[in-house]
Amino acid sequence: MQDGSVNDLLQASKIQDWDPSAMLNNLSFLGQKIHQLQDLVYLIIGRKGQVLGRPDELLVQQQQLVTADLTSIIVQLISTAGSLLPSVKQTLSAATTSLGQCGEFGGVVFPSSAQGLNDGVQPQNAGGSKVSEPPNSVDITSNNGNEQSNHIIEEHELKDEEDAEEGENLLPGTYEILQLEKEEILAPHTHFCTICGKGFKRDANLRMHMRGHGDEYKTPGALAKPTKESSSEPTIIKRYSCPYAGCKRNKDHKKFQPLKTILCVKNHYKRTHCDKSYICSRCNTKKFSVIADLKTHEKHCGKDKWLCSCGTTFSRKDKLFGHITLFQGHTPAIPSDEIKAAPAGTSDGATNKVGSVNFNLSYVSSESEVQSSSMDIKGGIDDAVGYFSPLSFDTCNFGGFHEFPRPPFDDSESSFAFLLSRSCNYSQKSGEE
Amino acid sequence: MLSFQSSKNVLSLTEDLLVRIYELLAAESDRKSFRLVCREFRRIDTLTRRHLRVIRIEFLPILLRKYPRLQSLDLSACPHIDDGVVSLLLTRVGPGSNSPILGHWAWGLKSLVLSRATGLRFSGLEMLARACPCLESVDVSYCCGFGDREAAALSSAVGLRELNMDKCLQLTDVGLAKIAVGCSKLEKLSLKWCMEMTDLGIDLLCKKCVDLKYLDVSYLKVTNESLHSIASLLKLEVLGLMACPLIDDVGLQFIERGCPSLKVIDVSRCEGVSSSGLIFVVRGHRNLLELNAGYCLSELSTALLHQMKNLNHLEVIRIDGARISETSFQVISANCKSLVEIGLSKCLGVTNMGIMRLVSACINLRVLNLTCCHSITDAAISAIAYSCRSLVCLKVESCNMITEKGLCQLGSFCLLLEEIDLTDCCGVNDKGLEYLSRCSELSCLKLGLCTNISNKGLSYIGFNCLKIHELDLYRCTGIGDDGLEALSNGCKKLRKLNLSYCNEVSDRGLGYIGRLEELSDLEMRALHKITGVGLEAVAVGCKRLADLDMKHCEKVGDSGFWALAYYSKNLRQINLSYCGISDMALCMVMGNLSRLQEAKLVHLSNCTVEGVELALRACCVRIKKVKLFAPLRFMLSSEILEILHARGCIIRWD
Repeated sequence: MQDGSVNDLLQASKIQDWDPSAMLNNLSFLGQKIHQLQDLVYLIIGRKGQVLGRPDELLVQQQQLVTADLTSIIVQLISTAGSLLPSVKQTLSAATTSLGQCGEFGGVVFPSSAQGLNDGVQPQNAGGSKVSEPPNSVDITSNNGNEQSNHIIEEHELKDEEDAEEGENLLPGTYEILQLEKEEILAPHTHFCTICGKGFKRDANLRMHMRGHGDEYKTPGALAKPTKESSSEPTIIKRYSCPYAGCKRNKDHKKFQPLKTILCVKNHYKRTHCDKSYICSRCNTKKFSVIADLKTHEKHCGKDKWLCSCGTTFSRKDKLFGHITLFQGHTPAIPSDEIKAAPAGTSDGATNKVGSVNFNLSYVSSESEVQSSSMDIKGGIDDAVGYFSPLSFDTCNFGGFHEFPRPPFDDSESSFAFLLSRSCNYSQKSGEE
Repeated sequence: MLSFQSSKNVLSLTEDLLVRIYELLAAESDRKSFRLVCREFRRIDTLTRRHLRVIRIEFLPILLRKYPRLQSLDLSACPHIDDGVVSLLLTRVGPGSNSPILGHWAWGLKSLVLSRATGLRFSGLEMLARACPCLESVDVSYCCGFGDREAAALSSAVGLRELNMDKCLQLTDVGLAKIAVGCSKLEKLSLKWCMEMTDLGIDLLCKKCVDLKYLDVSYLKVTNESLHSIASLLKLEVLGLMACPLIDDVGLQFIERGCPSLKVIDVSRCEGVSSSGLIFVVRGHRNLLELNAGYCLSELSTALLHQMKNLNHLEVIRIDGARISETSFQVISANCKSLVEIGLSKCLGVTNMGIMRLVSACINLRVLNLTCCHSITDAAISAIAYSCRSLVCLKVESCNMITEKGLCQLGSFCLLLEEIDLTDCCGVNDKGLEYLSRCSELSCLKLGLCTNISNKGLSYIGFNCLKIHELDLYRCTGIGDDGLEALSNGCKKLRKLNLSYCNEVSDRGLGYIGRLEELSDLEMRALHKITGVGLEAVAVGCKRLADLDMKHCEKVGDSGFWALAYYSKNLRQINLSYCGISDMALCMVMGNLSRLQEAKLVHLSNCTVEGVELALRACCVRIKKVKLFAPLRFMLSSEILEILHARGCIIRWD
């Protein structure tokens, strides 16, 4: 099928995108994590027997902690592999299911890691028809309303953040310029939970997540922005530079314009320097490199009912009218399906209906001139014969009225006129004023 | 042309001289007489005729073939024109081999009136727009089916300068955009009652059609945004904003700074507009000629009055419904010396003194509307008559204190008076009419509810006012047959007559009415004395009768209706409610009258359901509007209702 071929194409392009250094980065990160876990297990072994009261409880806690860390590592591993190797895709769904179960078993839910994993998978899906039912991620995320709402917030904030500081005029040197590496920018998460290892794009989301790990994280102090606390001392303003050489957002550019936040860096980098690999499944034309952009587009895709004669579509009437104002000769296009439907509904339909109730529309006239022209007309276009004439009754089956004799074709105006004596010579020529 | 010997008569005139003579004939009736003289004259008529108003569509092909040089075609009286007719007219006009080239008549056509042509759709309009390359003016008002596709079809007429789209209910911004882009030379556009229109459409229009001189957006739900766009039109002279509920003073502020050529503005019945809005308009446009602010001012404020001092060229002002003080009149008369028309209908505070001050300086006043200014007396009328010698129209409805003294002054000084509305002025009597009859130019006289006038008074009018074409005698119970006799002897030009509730009128009176050959509009409700004989006389005599209202004429029998069915071929509207018409006669009337468009048929006590059904079937191809007795909705066959619906006929159930 077509879907399959599209997928193949995407996968092929994905393989080309495979970046060994990014892979190395991820793997070293995982290595660190495994070492951390190793240390923890050593610690547990070392403490064994030293603790006196309530050993069972501690054991359970330790077990949970280890399981959580392990699951986190597995998720990261699969995520890394999944985002780079398309062939893994088929096995992924199975893995996620087991993961979900695993997470529940361990008493900790991992919706966002699954989400992150799903993000990695979606490029392959986007071209196909499956986007409407993302495999398992939906089931998993719906377990956790809190996390879902966070995700939505994220989506909204993503938009135009890149341009938000466009008007900002910071003097060079008054701020610190940070430049993230490409790998860092493209890494799915930057904030990780120290308890369960779940990754987040933002610290705020992490803090919200932490609330689930116990009451100590619910205090206003724990929830507040850590930087706010240290706001008493003057902080250096941080601005970011794009690692892409030659970009206006790169610190080496002549007219360098810094980016405000890491998120801006990420979105800027993806939008400007990455392939637009997310294709809208509805229109199959619009491409995006940031998934949130795709989702925003999909909300409105197909609603572009405002069409210009040049073929451009608009979701809003005022946008179309603005376009028409701008371009000479462009006009709004009227949908063609309406045009097709219309002629059948109007005069033709009416004529048919009239015809169906035993009315005989015929063109009759006393004036020879009219008569001759009418004959001509009859010969010409059948359809229009009835238009000039008042009707004459042909067959009427109403009770009490069937005694009306049928008129011969001699009367100019109506079949009833013959009943009246034609004593008055009413001129019928006054067809004009 | 003719031989030398037979000179010295009209027939010896050369063709070009005859053409010149023909072109001097203004009245249509005169031209008719001209073409009836002889074949040669008729030939001149066919060669020179530029305008044609077709009344019966069946003659359209012949007429179009006969008049090859038409520039203006009016089809508003043929509402059942549709796409089929148009294609027929454009493909082949006239029979046989010697027929002119296809659609030749359309080549020179500049003006096309298609008002109320509800059957015409986009395909027909497209054919017309393509076939008429010189088209400059199109009227598609009241074509309820006219929508965006029709507008798109019409937009191919690129030379269009004038377009009237009043009450094209289906039209939206998209259609208007089509027109605006396609017909960028538009100078005059009317969009009244195009209810779907929004600011977007108006904005685009103002950007694309920069030559607009006349724009009417009355009754639209457009906001101040539209006024902002309109203000950019440099050539705009006339702006109609009547009853635009969303427009307010802020919008008029844009007009103050824009529209440098503005001459006429109408903001009447705009709920949001107040004095301060008008101050903006007046301040920005010193050369304003016409200001219509009826029913949007509660009071003519001093601030506004102060600004109005600068309007030295103002010719027309209407401030209906506002409160106005005597000093205001003083200011107006002192500054607006070129005032020609003032409308003070239902204004509070209009006194004799105020009017006297007004007319003391505004001696050029030609139109004065004092409807419902109850405190006006003969003194004011005398002052008006004495100062404004060129008065043409005076409306003093329901000014009860006017008596024969005032009318005497009018009859003595205002000899140019053409229209006077004395409805509900119970001070008017026979003597007053005698004085008034001295105004021999009088063409429109309204005497409704003047119960003190009798046949004697009417006879003065009939004797002296020979140019009257509209007369309203509603509930003038003193009027009888003798009055009508006098009327029919003198007022041969009468076109519109209201005799409702003049109980004394009998068949003899209607016999006199039958002598009025020009009569086209007759309302004679509840004349209990008249019978079929009277109606027959009217039907036979008034050949141009187009609108007949005879509700509650219960004694009229079938013979009258039969005559109506046979003779009144030009009848377009009829009200037969509460008449004693029988099934048979109803069928005759509805079936035979080939131009009938609207009929009111409620409470026909002598008619059966079958009769009404048959009558409807007899007229279903042409009827546009019918009012029926509500219970019939379920008694008539669904078939006929469907046919009527499909034909675009509107049924009102009563």
